[in-house]
Amino acid sequence: MKDFIKVENVSFRYDSNDTVNKYVLNDISLNINKGEFVALLGHNGCGKSTMAKLLNAMLLPEKGKVFVNGLDTSEPDVSYDVRKTVGLVLQNPDNQLVASIVEEDVAFGPENLGIEPDEIRRRVDEALKAVDMYEYRAHAPYKLSGGQKQRVAIAGIIAMQPQCLVLDEPTAMLDPKGRDEVMATIKKLNREKGITIVLITHYMDEAVQADRVVVMDSGKILTQGSPREVFSEVELLKRHRLDVPQATELMYRLVGMGFPAESLPLDEDECIDRLSKILK
Amino acid sequence: MNVIETENLSFVYGQGTPFEKTANDRLNIQIKEGEFVGIIGHTGSGKSTLVQMLNGLIKPTSGTIRLEGTDIWQSPKEIRKIRFKVGLVFQYPEYQLFEETVEKDIAYGPRNMGLSEGDIRERVISAARFSGLRSELLSKSPFDLSGGEKRRAAIAGVIAMDPDVLILDEPTAGLDPAGRDVLLAQISQYHKERKNTVLLVSHSMEDIAKTADRILVMNRGRAEMLEDTRTVFSRGEELEKMGLRVPQITKIMSGLQKRGFDVPSGILTVEQAAGVLAAYRGRSV
Repeated sequence: MKDFIKVENVSFRYDSNDTVNKYVLNDISLNINKGEFVALLGHNGCGKSTMAKLLNAMLLPEKGKVFVNGLDTSEPDVSYDVRKTVGLVLQNPDNQLVASIVEEDVAFGPENLGIEPDEIRRRVDEALKAVDMYEYRAHAPYKLSGGQKQRVAIAGIIAMQPQCLVLDEPTAMLDPKGRDEVMATIKKLNREKGITIVLITHYMDEAVQADRVVVMDSGKILTQGSPREVFSEVELLKRHRLDVPQATELMYRLVGMGFPAESLPLDEDECIDRLSKILK
Repeated sequence: MNVIETENLSFVYGQGTPFEKTANDRLNIQIKEGEFVGIIGHTGSGKSTLVQMLNGLIKPTSGTIRLEGTDIWQSPKEIRKIRFKVGLVFQYPEYQLFEETVEKDIAYGPRNMGLSEGDIRERVISAARFSGLRSELLSKSPFDLSGGEKRRAAIAGVIAMDPDVLILDEPTAGLDPAGRDVLLAQISQYHKERKNTVLLVSHSMEDIAKTADRILVMNRGRAEMLEDTRTVFSRGEELEKMGLRVPQITKIMSGLQKRGFDVPSGILTVEQAAGVLAAYRGRSV
C-alpha cells in the first residue's frame, strides 16, 4: 500500500509561544509505504526524534497533517488507534521494561488493550519467538544483556500487533553483538511479518540495510533515496556533518587518488570484491 | 613506569548470597604512565566494575591496585585523594550536573580539593577549553545547554581536578558522528598536551581505533588481551568470539589479505588504508 503513513507539510515547535527558537520541523513532507524499511539519518537536533513522536501521535503537528493508515492524527479520539498501528521503541531498554518477568513485560501492552487472556498468551509467545527470546520468557529482565533487553522491549510492542515499528536509536547503548542481534530482529520482522520499519540511527552500517534512506537537516529533508543513491553523495553528507560507511569512504578517497570510478560500495564484502578486481 | 598496576584484582557482587557474581576475576594489568588505553568488552564483561575500582569508588573483594606504586587502599580514610588523582567520567555524565551555573558545576571538584579561588578559576577556564566548551556558556545554567554541551560540561568537571589518570566510560554514546569525532579529537588533544594517562571505555571499535595506543580486552570478567591497538585488531576472529568486532576498515583490509593481496594487517583508519592501497596499486601497474 502506498502512502501508509503520510506526513504533509508539517511544522512543529515545542513551545508555540516561543518566537525566538525556530521550528524543529519546518514544512516537511514524507510518505512511507506499507512494508517499507526506511532509515532516518541526521545529526542531533535535526528533528528525527520529533518526527518519530509525530508518527505515533505522541506529538501533534502545529501546521500540516500526519495521516496514519488514513487516520488524521490530530483528530480527537484517534490517538489510541494510531498508537495501535505505530509502535515506538526508544534508545534505553531499561526505561521501557516495566515488569519483573520477561513474559509479563511483553503482556503489559496487550493487557492494556483489553485482549482476552488466551489471546494474550498466544501473542506473547509469538512475539517472544519473533525476537528469539522465547527461551528467556521466565527470566528477570534486569539480568539480561542490553541486546536481549532491547529485543524484549521490541517484543512488548510486537505483541500489540502494530503494522509499523518506529525505532529511535535502538542500538545506541548496545555492545557490537547486541547491535547485530537487534538489527537481525528488525530485518526479520520486516521481511517475514511485513511490518513497516522506520529506523532512526547514527550508524551508517545500519542505514545501508534499509530500502530507503531519508536524511534530515534543520527540520527538513536534505536528500533521500536508496542507500546506494544517498551514500554516493559523499560531499553533500560531509558538508552537513554526516558520515558515510568506512567502505564507501575508502573507495571515495581511492577514486580521488586515481582508482577507476564506479558506484561506491556500501559494505565490506562489496568493497573487498571491488578492490580485488582493481588490484589484480 | 607503571602508573596503575593490579595484582589478582577481583570483585564479586553479592558475595555469600545466591546472586553471587564474579565481575572481575584475578586481573593482572599494568598501565604505563602517559599512555592512552582503550577498554573494550561485551556488556557485563566487567569494564565498569574495573574502572570503578581503579577510582576507589568500590573496594576490591581481593587483590590490590597500586597507583604510582602505592596500594590505594593502604589507608582507607585517604581514599578521597585517590579520586582526585584518578578522575572518572561516568556514562551519560550530563545527568549528574546539578549546580546553578556551568562554572560552579565545573568548579565543584577543585573546590573540594581545597584550592584557592584563583586556582579554581584557572582550572575551570582551562578545563572548559580542553573539553571544547565556549566560555560564554560558563555563566549559563547547565540545564539550558544542548545535550552535547552538557556532556562537555560534565567532562570538564572531572578534567578540572587535573587527574593523573582520566577514565571515560562511553563518552561518545548517543552523540552523532560529528559530535563523536569532535569530542574524540578533544580528548586526544588533552592527552597530548597534558601528557597524562587516559583510559577510554567504548563499544565503538572505530573510536578506539582512532585514539588508543593499547587496548585492554575484557571478556567474562577476565582480562583477555592487553596489547597495542594494531595487534588486538589483527585478531579479529578471537574478538568476534567474544562478541566484539573490528572496525569495518580493518575487516576490509584483512579480507583483501585473505584473498592473497600482500597488504599489512591491523589497519585502523580509512586514511591509512587509502595510502596503503594507492601504494599497492602504484607498485603493480
